[in-house]
Amino acid sequence: MRVGVDQERLEGMSPRKRVNRGLIRAREFLFPFLVVGLSWELLVRFQVIGLRTLPPPSAILVEFWDLVWNKGVLIHHLSRSLYRLTIGYLLAVGLGIAVGTLLAVRKTLREMFMPILSMLISVPTIAWVPVLLITIGLGDNTVVTAIFLGGFFAIAYNTMRGIEMVNKDQVNAARLMGVSGVKLFASVLLPGSLVSIITGLRLGIGYSWRALVGGEMLSALVEWGIGKMIYQARFWNSVAVMFVGLMVISVSGLLLDRVLLKWLEKETVERWGMLAER
Amino acid sequence: MSESTPIIEIRDVGKAYGKGSAQVVALNSVNLDITSGELNVLIGPSGCGKSTLLYLMAGFEKPTQGEILLDGTIIDRPGPDRGFVFQDYALFPWKTVLGNVMFGLINNGWSKREAREVALEYINLVNLDGFEHAYPHTLSGGMKQRVGIARALAYDPKVLLMDEPFGALDAQTRKYMQQELVRVWEKTGKTVVFVTHSVIEAVFLADRIIVMTARPGTMKGCVEVDLPRPRDYTGRSYLAIREEVLDLLEEEVARSLQR
Repeated sequence: MRVGVDQERLEGMSPRKRVNRGLIRAREFLFPFLVVGLSWELLVRFQVIGLRTLPPPSAILVEFWDLVWNKGVLIHHLSRSLYRLTIGYLLAVGLGIAVGTLLAVRKTLREMFMPILSMLISVPTIAWVPVLLITIGLGDNTVVTAIFLGGFFAIAYNTMRGIEMVNKDQVNAARLMGVSGVKLFASVLLPGSLVSIITGLRLGIGYSWRALVGGEMLSALVEWGIGKMIYQARFWNSVAVMFVGLMVISVSGLLLDRVLLKWLEKETVERWGMLAER
Repeated sequence: MSESTPIIEIRDVGKAYGKGSAQVVALNSVNLDITSGELNVLIGPSGCGKSTLLYLMAGFEKPTQGEILLDGTIIDRPGPDRGFVFQDYALFPWKTVLGNVMFGLINNGWSKREAREVALEYINLVNLDGFEHAYPHTLSGGMKQRVGIARALAYDPKVLLMDEPFGALDAQTRKYMQQELVRVWEKTGKTVVFVTHSVIEAVFLADRIIVMTARPGTMKGCVEVDLPRPRDYTGRSYLAIREEVLDLLEEEVARSLQR
């Protein structure tokens, strides 16, 4: 809702005012980073904290540049990770929505499988990885499976909850107009539960990222990937590389959420006025 | 409009929820005939099962006793020979006004082009020209319910079932919508079953007022309203009928409160 109001206000502004406003926002966004970064830099430089192995932010930025440009490896690590994430996450989305729907519309299935789902949902995905390493192998497939498991439960659960909470009279109206089965799912249940499904997609992509990093660290045959990069930096004692990895993970996570999911939300449930109701 | 065979026959219908000692009987042996083309209003104290009866006619729920026939066929599921207007509108928020009204047409064999044409006709009928592409959340309550009426009528059902459709509206809008409904009903000639707990509304709208008892709901009596339209809310005969309905209701309201 708030975004909508801001939008209206923005549209009534002159371009110059709009740029100014953008600058103010950017300043507000960057300010905390500057404060944290600067204090960190000073604390390390003047040896206030006695951690000799902790690099200052300036060293991390230099390392970042080095990895991007001189060594040129960061892009390989990142693209490999994103490739795995895409496959694992899309599997989680597809199967999660399918299973969640099935559990919502078939009461007997829900009563049968809900206990299992509730138990598995609380298992940290990283705990699966050793099992996967032995059963599936030491390579890509294990990492992708971990990513899938990470996202699947959150998406399935939230889909189920969303469909259960779809307005009963909207379903009645559709049934009266002769709609049932797959058509009912596509035209009423899916859009009607989208608020909750998007929550699941959000949680899911967070869990998938975590699983990705953990999986890459533990899978011996995996050579490229952000998680691997962090893990391997241990051997060269390069804490700066680790921090670059952490930075890349947090920024990409934020971007995926803000760009992809925020966009989906804006084009659907926000446009349909379904966020204000809850 | 054949006076002899009713379009809806309700035969000894009962509805109970739950089992054993926790069982609640909502309706008990209801018998009622609805005549084709009439505007029928169902009225009764709150909790008397009038909305339940309407949901049974729609086929959203099944009676636990007896049967309901629509045009000679037993109702056992929802179907497009009925239109329904919900108290809380139940529009699809992800569809525009046009999309909502087209929904029943598209899913019942109309081509996209025909559906669009018919939908636009009904949007015009309920005076919503210019709002075809608006999403429901941008509309006022009265406008939303006009979309609800257009959506329910567009695919040409045999009967229009309305569950306290103006209950959520403010007094002024409510009055206006009552006049609008009479206008639309006169134009389409649909059989209407309208549930309300407002006597004022009932006498303004109805050809026939069906009064129900307190729970478990059953028929208390019928009042034929033989007033010319357009009606006002103050004429002497209007007030006389209002008194008659109120008298019937009063005993039942008292009974429902004593429990």
